[in-house]
Amino acid sequence: MDNLINLEGVEIAKNIKDNLLTSSEVFNFFKKRIDRLNPSINAFLEVYEDFKIEGDSSLAGVPIAIKDNICIKDKRITCASRILSTHIAVYDATVIKKLKKAGLAIIGTTNMDEFAFGSSTENSCYGATKNPWDILRVPGGSSGGSAAAVAARLVPFALGSDTGGSIRQPASLCGVVGFKPTYGRISRYGLIAFGSSLDQIGPITTNFVDCAHLLNIICGFDQYDSTSSTKEVPDFTKSLDINIEGIRIGLPKEYFCEGVAPEVLNALEETINIFKKKKARIINISLPHTKYAVATYYIIASSEASSNLQRFDGIKYGLRVNANTISKLHSLTRKEGFGCEAKRRIFLGTYSLSSGYYEAYYLRASKVRNLIKKDFDIAFSEVDVILTPTSPTVAFKLGEKIDDPLSMYLSDIFTISANLAALPAVSFPCGFNKQGLPIGAQLIGKEFNEEILLRLGFSYQSITDYHKKIPKIATIC
Amino acid sequence: MLEFDTVIGLEVHVQLKTNSKIFCACSTNFESPPNTNICPICCGYPGVLPVLNKKALELAIRVCLALNCKINKRIYFERKNYFYPDLPKNYQISQYALPIGEDGFLKISSTKTVKIKRIHLEEDAGKLIHKDTYSLVDFNRAGIPLLEIVTYPDLDNPDQAFEFLTQLKLFLQYIEASSCDMEKGLLRCDANISLKPKGSFVLGTKVELKNMNTFRGVKDALEYEVERQKSLLLKNENILQETRLWDQTKKKTFPMRTKEEAHDYRYFPEPDLKDFIVSQNLIEEQKKFITETPLQKKERFLKTYGLLEKEIDTIISDVWLANFFEEAVKFYPQPKEIANWFLGIFLQNLSDLHYNYNEVKISPHNFSTIVRYFCEGKINNLAVKKILSLSISTDKNVDQIINEEGLLQVSKVDELINFVNEAIEQNSKVVSDYFSGRKEALEFLVGQIMKKTKGKANPKMARELLEKSLKEKKNKI
Repeated sequence: MDNLINLEGVEIAKNIKDNLLTSSEVFNFFKKRIDRLNPSINAFLEVYEDFKIEGDSSLAGVPIAIKDNICIKDKRITCASRILSTHIAVYDATVIKKLKKAGLAIIGTTNMDEFAFGSSTENSCYGATKNPWDILRVPGGSSGGSAAAVAARLVPFALGSDTGGSIRQPASLCGVVGFKPTYGRISRYGLIAFGSSLDQIGPITTNFVDCAHLLNIICGFDQYDSTSSTKEVPDFTKSLDINIEGIRIGLPKEYFCEGVAPEVLNALEETINIFKKKKARIINISLPHTKYAVATYYIIASSEASSNLQRFDGIKYGLRVNANTISKLHSLTRKEGFGCEAKRRIFLGTYSLSSGYYEAYYLRASKVRNLIKKDFDIAFSEVDVILTPTSPTVAFKLGEKIDDPLSMYLSDIFTISANLAALPAVSFPCGFNKQGLPIGAQLIGKEFNEEILLRLGFSYQSITDYHKKIPKIATIC
Repeated sequence: MLEFDTVIGLEVHVQLKTNSKIFCACSTNFESPPNTNICPICCGYPGVLPVLNKKALELAIRVCLALNCKINKRIYFERKNYFYPDLPKNYQISQYALPIGEDGFLKISSTKTVKIKRIHLEEDAGKLIHKDTYSLVDFNRAGIPLLEIVTYPDLDNPDQAFEFLTQLKLFLQYIEASSCDMEKGLLRCDANISLKPKGSFVLGTKVELKNMNTFRGVKDALEYEVERQKSLLLKNENILQETRLWDQTKKKTFPMRTKEEAHDYRYFPEPDLKDFIVSQNLIEEQKKFITETPLQKKERFLKTYGLLEKEIDTIISDVWLANFFEEAVKFYPQPKEIANWFLGIFLQNLSDLHYNYNEVKISPHNFSTIVRYFCEGKINNLAVKKILSLSISTDKNVDQIINEEGLLQVSKVDELINFVNEAIEQNSKVVSDYFSGRKEALEFLVGQIMKKTKGKANPKMARELLEKSLKEKKNKI
C-alpha cells in the first residue's frame, strides 16, 4: 500500500480494475496523507469526506485535486479570496463534468494566489502554500497548491490553471509535470476568469503518462465555451513514444541569457544533451520580441482581470459589506474582499483601459502580442518544438519577493509568451540544484500540437528519474 | 422675432423577438414572475461564459438590411464596463467601434427620409424595483437581445419624430424582428434635441431626453423642450448641455439629478466571444424576410383599394390587421364593403379580445363571406353582427352558423307579404296617420315587421312591399 506514492495514476487505476485495490482504499490512503502532511504544506483548502465514482476511464477510481478556481457543483469555491469565501458553486465546470464522467474521485480543492494573481501562492487569504522540497520556500504560483500537493504525493495528480505560467512555474519549482494545452483545447466554462484570452486549464502530474491520460479526458470542444476549439482531439496516449529521432528542437537565445541562474542553465545543458543523445536535432533560434512579453502580458491580463472581477460586488453572491448607498456597498465590499495584489491588478487594468490611455497601453499591448505570435510562427517554420528553462531560478524563499511585485512578475518571464501566443507548453523536472531543489525545463509546441510535447517528455522520462524523486517530507508519512 | 430650426436625433432600443436570451438558453418571456427566467450565465455567476444566440444575430442583420444599412462583414463584441446593480457582470456585452450596420435610412414620407447612423447588438440589463428603504432586482430581462438604432440628428420637429417611431415600429413588426411593445418595455426611446437660428449651419447645444414611455410621450417631451429652449434663447440665455428626464404627469422635463459625470466605459473587445464573419448566404437568407416599408404599404393601399387615408392608416397600423384585410379582399374584391365592416364591428370585436390575435379564429375567407352575404342581401346587418361575434373565436363555417341560428334573411315576397299584411291590420291608427301624410309612420310599420320576423326580414324589401300594399289599400278606400 505504501508504494502507492510511487505508482503512476494509470497504474493505480489498473490495480483498482484488477481488484487488487478498491477506490475507497486509494481515496483513504491519500486522504490520510493529506491529513498528516497538509498542515505543514497548506496545499489543500478543503478535503472532501467522501467521493462518488460516476463513470469509467483509464484513470477511474483515482483521486484528483482541483485548483480552487474551478467550479464543483455544491462545493465551496473561493479563489483563495475573502470576497468569495462563502460561495458555493451552483454548477459543475465542464472539466469537472468530464472528470466525473471518467470516474475520477475528486478529493478536494487546492490553494492558489487570490484569483490566480501571483507566482508564489503567497497571495492567498488562507495563507501561503509551502514548497514540499523546502518548506521555507514558495511552491511557485498561482497553482502552487496543486503543484505542492502532487509533489508531496498527497494526490496522484491535480488540475491547475495557467494564465501566464501558473501551471508551469509551480510545476518547475515543485519538480512535477505541469501542462498548459493550446488556448481553446480545454473548455474554460466554470473556470473563474482571470485573463479570459489567456486562461487555460491543465493537468499537473508526476509523469507524462498520467498527463496524456488526463488530457484525453479533459480536452475537447464545449458548446458552453465559444473560444473552445472544434479541432479533433487525438488520442494523446499514442504520443507516448520514446523515439524522437529527427525532431527539431529550437533553443531561443533570448531564454538562455544572463538573468538565468547558472544551476538552471547547467540543468538545461544536460537536458539538451539527453535529447541530442536521442537523436533530436538542436537548432539555435531567436524570438526577438521576448523582452516585451512581461509588459505586454501584465497590461492585457490585468485589463481583462479588472473587467472580469467587476462581478464581485456584494449584490449576488459572496461577501457583502452593507452601506447606505449602492456605490458605498460596492466599494466597501471590494475594499474588504480583495487582497493587495488583486487590488493592484484591478488598478493597473482599469488604468490601461481608461480613455486617453487605452491606445497607449491596451491597444499597443494587443499589437505587441501579435508580434510575439509572429515570432513563434517564424520560429516554427524552422523547428518543431522550443526548449527553454521554465523559471530563471529555483524556488525562492517565502516572503522574499512579496514586497517587490516587479521581481515577482519576472518569475513568469519564460512562461508568459506561450499564453500570449496561445501555444501549448509544458514544464517537466530536469534536475536538482545543490540544495536539492528541483529545476524545470519548458517545451513549447505549435498550436494544437500537444503531441510533440508529450512525446519528447515521455522519451526524456524513459531514461531519467528526476520525476521519480520524492521530497523528504513526503516519505515521512 | 427670431426663428429657430429644431434638430432632433433618436436613440431607439428594441428587444429582438427570440425565444431565448442572447448569451444563454433562458426564456425571454416578459410575463414570468421576477427572477424565474435566470441561470448562472445571465446572472453573471463566477466562471460562466457567453455563447451567442445565432437567431439574435440574424434578426439584427435583418433589421440592418431593412433599414438599408451597410453591414460590417466582421462582427465582434466589446465590454462596456460600469457598475450598476441591474447589470450582473458589471459590464454589458455590447458593440462600440464596429456596429453591425451603419449608414442606413428609412423613408417616412414622399419628402422625408430619416438617416440611420448605426445599429448595434447588445444584451439588456435587469430591472430595479425601488421600495421605500431598499431596492429589488429582477434579472429576467438581463440578457435579452437588444438592438440599438441611432438616427442622425435628422428630424425637423416632434411630429416627424413621432411619425418615424410609428413607422419604425411597424416595419420591425412587419419583418418579425421585434414585437416593439412600448408598454411592455420591448421598445425604448431616448432623444436629443437642439435649436439653432433658422438656416444656420451651426448646431446648437444638445439636450438629451430620457424617461419617455410612449411615442406620445416622446412627442410631448420634444414639444416641451422646443418651447423651453426657445424661450431661453430668446432671453439670450445659454442652453445647458445636460440630460433631462420627462415627467409624464407634470408634462415637463427636469434635469437628471445624478451628478454630471462623464462615464468612462473602458470598452475593450470581449475575449469570451470569437469574431463572426457575416456570410453572403446569411445576408441572402435574411433578405427574404424584408417586406415593403410602412410608407410603401400605405401608398400601395391608397392606390389599390381606393380607401380614405384615415381608413388605411388604421388598417396598416398593425401588420396582422393589414394582412387580414388584404386576404379578405382577395376573396371578395369589394375593398370598400370589406373596410366598412372591418373598421367598424370587427375592430370592436378585436378590441374586446384585447387584440390578442391568437384567440381570433375567424379566417379572412369567412369574414369576406359574411360581408358578401350582406352585400348580396342574404343577411341583414343585425345578422352580420351576430355572426361575427359568434365566429370570431371559432372557425365555424359561416353557412353553418346562419343555419344554426336561422339568420338567413326573409327575402321571399310570399313569405314576407303575410307579415306586411299583419302589420297593416294590427296598426290601423298608424296606417291612417300614414295616409294623413306622416311619413315616419312607415318606419314604425317596418319596425313591426322586423320584430315579427325576429330581425330576419330584408328591410328594403319589407319597405317596398309595405308601400305597395298601403298604396293598394288607399286606392281601395
